[in-house]
Amino acid sequence: MEAAPSLASFLSQLLVGLSRAMILFIVASGLSFILGVLRVPNVAHGSLYMIGAFAAHSIATALGGHPAGFWAAMAGAPLIVGAVSLAAERLLFRHLYEREHLMLLLFTFGLALILGDLTKMTWGADYRSIVPPPALQGSLDVLGTALPRYNLFLLLVGPAVALALWAVSTKTRFGKIARAAAVDREMVGAIGINVSWVFAWAFVLGCVLAGLGGALVSPTISVTLGMDHTIIIEAFLIVTIGGLGNIGGALVGSLLFGVTQSLGVLVLPQFAIVFPYLAVVLILTFKPTGLLRSVW
Amino acid sequence: MKSGRFISRALLGVLAAALAVAGINGRAEARNIKVGIVDTYSGPPAVFGNDALNGFKMALEEINRQGVLGGRIEFVTRDDKFKVDIGLNMAKELALKENVDVIVGVVNSGVALAVSDAVAKKEKLPFFTWMAKSANITGKAGHRYVFSTTENTAMATKAAATVLARKPYKRIWVAGDDYEYGHALDDSFTHSLKQLQPEVEFIGRTWWKLGEPDLVPYFTSIQAAKPDLVHFCTGGASMANVLKTIQATGLHRNTAIYIHTAIDYAVLKPLGLNAPEGVMGTMDYLFYYPELSSNQKFVKDFQARYKTPPGFPAYHAWMTAQFIAEGFRKAGKIDREAFIDAVEGLKVDSPVGKVEMRACDHQAVLPILFGTTRISQEHRAAVATDILTLRGAEVMPTCEEVLGARK
Amino acid sequence: MRPERSLSPARLWAFGLWLALFLTPLAAGRFTVYILGVILVTGLLAMSLNLLVGHGGAYQFHHGAFYGVGAYTAALLITKTSLPAWVGLAAGPAAAAAAGLLIGSLCIRLNKLYFGMIQISLGSLLWILALRWYDLTNGDDGIHGIPLPEILSGSGPTFTFILLVVGVCLLGMHRILESPFGTTLRAIRDNPQRCAAVGINVRRHQLAAIGIAAFFAGVAGVLFVVLEGSVFPDMLFWVLSLEIFIMCLLGGWFTFFGPMVGAAIIVLLRTVVGGYTEYWTLILGVVLILLIFFLPEGLMGVGHRLRVYRHRAAGAPSRGADRAAG
Repeated sequence: MEAAPSLASFLSQLLVGLSRAMILFIVASGLSFILGVLRVPNVAHGSLYMIGAFAAHSIATALGGHPAGFWAAMAGAPLIVGAVSLAAERLLFRHLYEREHLMLLLFTFGLALILGDLTKMTWGADYRSIVPPPALQGSLDVLGTALPRYNLFLLLVGPAVALALWAVSTKTRFGKIARAAAVDREMVGAIGINVSWVFAWAFVLGCVLAGLGGALVSPTISVTLGMDHTIIIEAFLIVTIGGLGNIGGALVGSLLFGVTQSLGVLVLPQFAIVFPYLAVVLILTFKPTGLLRSVW
Repeated sequence: MKSGRFISRALLGVLAAALAVAGINGRAEARNIKVGIVDTYSGPPAVFGNDALNGFKMALEEINRQGVLGGRIEFVTRDDKFKVDIGLNMAKELALKENVDVIVGVVNSGVALAVSDAVAKKEKLPFFTWMAKSANITGKAGHRYVFSTTENTAMATKAAATVLARKPYKRIWVAGDDYEYGHALDDSFTHSLKQLQPEVEFIGRTWWKLGEPDLVPYFTSIQAAKPDLVHFCTGGASMANVLKTIQATGLHRNTAIYIHTAIDYAVLKPLGLNAPEGVMGTMDYLFYYPELSSNQKFVKDFQARYKTPPGFPAYHAWMTAQFIAEGFRKAGKIDREAFIDAVEGLKVDSPVGKVEMRACDHQAVLPILFGTTRISQEHRAAVATDILTLRGAEVMPTCEEVLGARK
Repeated sequence: MRPERSLSPARLWAFGLWLALFLTPLAAGRFTVYILGVILVTGLLAMSLNLLVGHGGAYQFHHGAFYGVGAYTAALLITKTSLPAWVGLAAGPAAAAAAGLLIGSLCIRLNKLYFGMIQISLGSLLWILALRWYDLTNGDDGIHGIPLPEILSGSGPTFTFILLVVGVCLLGMHRILESPFGTTLRAIRDNPQRCAAVGINVRRHQLAAIGIAAFFAGVAGVLFVVLEGSVFPDMLFWVLSLEIFIMCLLGGWFTFFGPMVGAAIIVLLRTVVGGYTEYWTLILGVVLILLIFFLPEGLMGVGHRLRVYRHRAAGAPSRGADRAAG
């Protein structure tokens, strides 16, 4: 506010915003994928993100703070979340896909309540923290501003996940079936494909992304109960402005949130909290089904 | 001979038993004192609620061995989930259904203020807040039925301002969680520092929403302004985020930083050896300082039971138990009004010396410790060093000021 | 179909229960009276939401916002102005209805989840206002000790007042639902395209319904102020809105009294079970999931369905366009 932001601080702020957008994207793309293929507005997605963070902490701690522990945590936590979600899908979700959206939403809210308390029973209420490996600690001097190396690392991970997701959904048989099933479930079933398992793996894939987001975010924040609440509303707002079920839309929405918020901090810090909500109101007022094509 | 001695002993025994029965009958009103705890046992603040509960339980073990007015102190707990409406429900249930004699607890200042008004004041039920740090609880919104056994935002920041006013920091930036606690810290620190050192200049303020996951964007804009001192107004779970971001951006290497409760072990322990050094902070209790034998015993007992050193909530709750026990003993009966009269001005033992409950505003007179973080290999975490102790009387508003604000 | 004017047994029961409740302050302990008050206020809020969700089919995701607007309007007028407290209490529902029409006009252009998300966003902006405008609202500390008219002091009179107002509101809501407007609303819920085709202005009906529901939510907000003497920003937070949604589901959203029953279950779960275990939300989650699996129409919905079957068996036509959920 006091001085006009210089070009350098603008650019560094932009980089920071982009790195923030990456975490948002990883979580939101999972939510959007499930919305697109299964039509389930999964409120428990935030709980899986939280479980991902706690699991990452447990794995990293079990390996005694060794740098390899960090990488094991990044790989292991999403798998644990994947296992939890597979169980939830096979036992519960698959009986409910034909229900009304509102019912599914409340069902996943019930699941979120249960997962929240189970997380507390398993890990307790203490604050936890993960130390990134030495190579990702500290900061790099970029254009005169100290940018944490970890944020730069996220800038590499985000696009890699986006690319992988794109490849899975367009290049693999599973991806093609899932996309087709999103458009017309009966037709895919009719040509002899076991839709049930396609749905199961689609659900697991979306949830693994939530777990990965939780694992990746854990070195930058303190891992606590209640993480689920903060992320879920943001993720839902992102997939809404992007277009429900559209992965590209999730990317656009995340970038919009991350970048505008970090630039907003530079210009009008006192309004940063208002921005996400205002963005949704403005975008939906002019584009009632989000920026990109929605499958809903 | 032998049988004679036996008979006389038996007679003595019967006599003693009769006396004891008579004693119990003579004090027919002797009953247990019931304490209702409303606190947060879920979500991020649960770490405080659990620590306080442990401290309270440990205190009761010793108190009940001796008994209070011939009975014991018992307690029931209720989880407010950090929400005002649930906190009110629970407090009313404790007051109207459980018929507790005292209500204690509460992390959330909003819950504390609501319970203070709707339950303590309306039901004339003594209420001790042991965690909520809003200065309004015993300040502007204080009354006969509410007590505070924790320091508050005004005391902590007055202490910090007293120390920092003597240092050459002129350009100050304020940043923090955009909610009441953050703003209260900012207001009282800014007010105190300007009073003590009129030359300071507050060059900017940054607020982020509570629970904001990534603080780096805010830090880069602070760094660009090159302040001498940054006052971070934060606490609880977001404290760790702030400390991590300080470490990641290296802000502490060229800027002085003050954060209330930054030297809290519960915050520093999870960060391990990766905590930033040189961050200044304030607390009203540290388990490793001062090294009094009473404190060491307290810590040892606590660690033996709960496998972790006591945090400040445990200390506050332990002290609250002493106020309740001593208050009723002094009052001589289980009567709310007599109890309040007894607690006013009462001094109780605490692990770090006597603590007085100031009669005029019902605020416990607690010293504030000012320290700077440094990595300790012994603790495998950062701890406070170069600790200064500021007496409670130095940092509390005067009785006139408090009573003036209540009008 | 015109509803029969005569007093059906169900109505007689409801009316009798309502009358009997007036006696509770004489017979029951103060905590029971207080909790009944909490149930009535929360139940009114849930029933107002159900006007839209159960009968209107709208994705009203942030109904709590209007509850908060009503409560804050009353609280601010009472504490910040010299107007009589009754003015503040009366202004609450009016402000909530106005907010409902304003927010509703932006929402009704959208469908389903989009409707819900824009409403969450708009409601959250109100929440931020309550949270951030410290000078006016005290931020997240909230406003406590709101002075009320002398006649409402004490738990007995407070309860009687709440019971009276809730009774009048329920009567009003019932009338609205049985009016041609209510019938149109249910028709829109079941088939908006056909309604539009026969010349019904769908959006205008939905907007009016949002305004009405917001009004009753505002009444609930004002009653909360009367009951607790406090307001705080959590009242406008989206989590509360989801909770009242659950109340509708629990009790049954295709029935009139269902949400009140749902509210009673949740309030009792939280105060009674909450006294035994801190994990009562886990129990709530399990109950919710069991309900969705086995009783998607809610508790009252089952009773209602049984009655309809009995009616049919007796040759009477079933009343209302109640459909199965899902």
